[in-house]
Amino acid sequence: MMKRWTLIVAVIVAVALAFVPLVGSDTMIQFGINALLLATLAQSWNILGGFGGYVSFGNSVFYGLGTYGTAIAMTNYNLPFGVGLVVGVILAMIGAALVGLPILRLRGPYFAIATLGLNGAMMAIFSNLPIAGSNIGLVLPLTRNDTMFYELALGLLAACTLTVLWISRSRYGMGLIAIREDEDAAGTMGVNATLYKVSALILASIFTAVAGGIHAYWSTFVDPASAFDSTLNVRMVIMCVFGGPGTVFGPVIGSFVLSTVYEVLAAQISTAAALLFGFVIVLAVVFMPRGLADVVKGGKGLSWRYFIRNIRENRL
Amino acid sequence: MVLAQILLNGILLGGLYGLMALGMALVWGVLNIVNLAHGALIMLGGYVVYYLFTLGGIDPFLALPIAMVVMFCAGFALQWGLLNLVVRSKMLNTLLITFGLDVVLTFTAQLLFSADFRTINPSYAGSNFPLFGLTVPIVRLAAFGVAVALAAALWFVLNRMPLGRAIRATAQNLVAARLYGVNPRVLYAVTFGIGTALAGAAGGLYGMISNLTPYIGASLTAKSFVIAIIGGLANPFNVILGGIFVGVAESLTALYLGPTYTDVISFGLLVVVLVLRPKRAVRAA
Repeated sequence: MMKRWTLIVAVIVAVALAFVPLVGSDTMIQFGINALLLATLAQSWNILGGFGGYVSFGNSVFYGLGTYGTAIAMTNYNLPFGVGLVVGVILAMIGAALVGLPILRLRGPYFAIATLGLNGAMMAIFSNLPIAGSNIGLVLPLTRNDTMFYELALGLLAACTLTVLWISRSRYGMGLIAIREDEDAAGTMGVNATLYKVSALILASIFTAVAGGIHAYWSTFVDPASAFDSTLNVRMVIMCVFGGPGTVFGPVIGSFVLSTVYEVLAAQISTAAALLFGFVIVLAVVFMPRGLADVVKGGKGLSWRYFIRNIRENRL
Repeated sequence: MVLAQILLNGILLGGLYGLMALGMALVWGVLNIVNLAHGALIMLGGYVVYYLFTLGGIDPFLALPIAMVVMFCAGFALQWGLLNLVVRSKMLNTLLITFGLDVVLTFTAQLLFSADFRTINPSYAGSNFPLFGLTVPIVRLAAFGVAVALAAALWFVLNRMPLGRAIRATAQNLVAARLYGVNPRVLYAVTFGIGTALAGAAGGLYGMISNLTPYIGASLTAKSFVIAIIGGLANPFNVILGGIFVGVAESLTALYLGPTYTDVISFGLLVVVLVLRPKRAVRAA
């Protein structure tokens, strides 16, 4: 169980982050918005991927649906931003249910690869939809208020993290963990696996869609390539796994660390930043298969032996 | 007549698709690794053949065996030095590490080869001959022939040679195979190497028929996966048949619905196949 001081530190950090727009520069706030939104994506991926053990490479679809739901509502029907977000969330939830019911019957690699194609399929569909501006995309009304977007993103991340905190301590979360460890045994113990998995995907789709909606309004432009950006899947999975899948704060810490590293590197050489991401995931799987959170938990007793032990456990 | 031509194109392309999936099916069946970097390895094989052709002036079909040797060594090293370290961990971890490898290979390729479209374009690339009123493109026919020949070679190795017996024994029971003197580290590396060599051959042929870019990997991985499931992991010829099935389905989609929908269809096909064959999906989990 989580120690009390971890929670206290988390609350202090969250409050401190809320005051960043008062002191930070424009660049810093913009970096903050991106980092917070990415952390939200990693945290919502954590719900099904970390707790349930179902690796999805298709969650960017919900981001895209949230983006387009918001954009269509705001540009075609002149609805306010809040209503747009709700439309995006509903679209994403419907999408999650429709996608989840058939493909969550699949296990392990079958599920993961079935989700690989989702993004491309959705992009093809939205490129042919006149209401979504086809290939050209949509332009949203301009609002220059970075502080508002920053606070929205921070609030969203906080809400998502609180949800994950609740999951980690609830019967629902125990059910998801049981499914991760042994789905057949979980079924025998009375866990309704289908219900748990589909609801976890829907829950994840809500936060992902809101993040998409916020980003759409902030960047004021939506097109199929940016809404259904498959590298987003790469990033959310890596950030979550790097931080520690199935933990409450791991994905957030992982995202902040990697976002910062990426930002510093991308300023120098852009392709190398993407390359580094690949190396990070390879090395992370080899040396710390349970994530940064597990390394930190080791505390003072941590030495190089920890990494050697991890390798010894899994090598042939 | 149009339909017959489309079917012929689909079958010829499908043979190549089958070859793409062959290596993935082998690695999956024996090592229990679903290699998400498989498409990227196909891409690398394509570039090896491309550079052997453009810089070395070697005919692309003669360059194929060279590329296969190069890719075999790369695959052997990858499994020996890296994947053997994580092969016993959870499926999630092997999926993630090969996903990471896919990213590394893709962006290394982008740095080394640039993002430009490349085509392996020998002098006979555009030639074809008529047969019963249909047009048969020579390169595609040859690619189909190579795919079938390699599937036959793999079948022969697996079923008639000591190495194949060791591979099949390891796939069935690692501990028992070890007791009978199989060194699993070497055998895993050899098997992965054969898989990458097949991917390399597929990449070379793909480069003659379509365009090479560093980013083709992900969609080829998904395609190989669909075919490996349709064809099963046991028999190379069934994998080729699975490839032909997907090739024909894609050609018909492009004819009747339009080429933008081929991605949607192959994804739809994947879901339908996965959902209709739950037994297999449950077994491998």
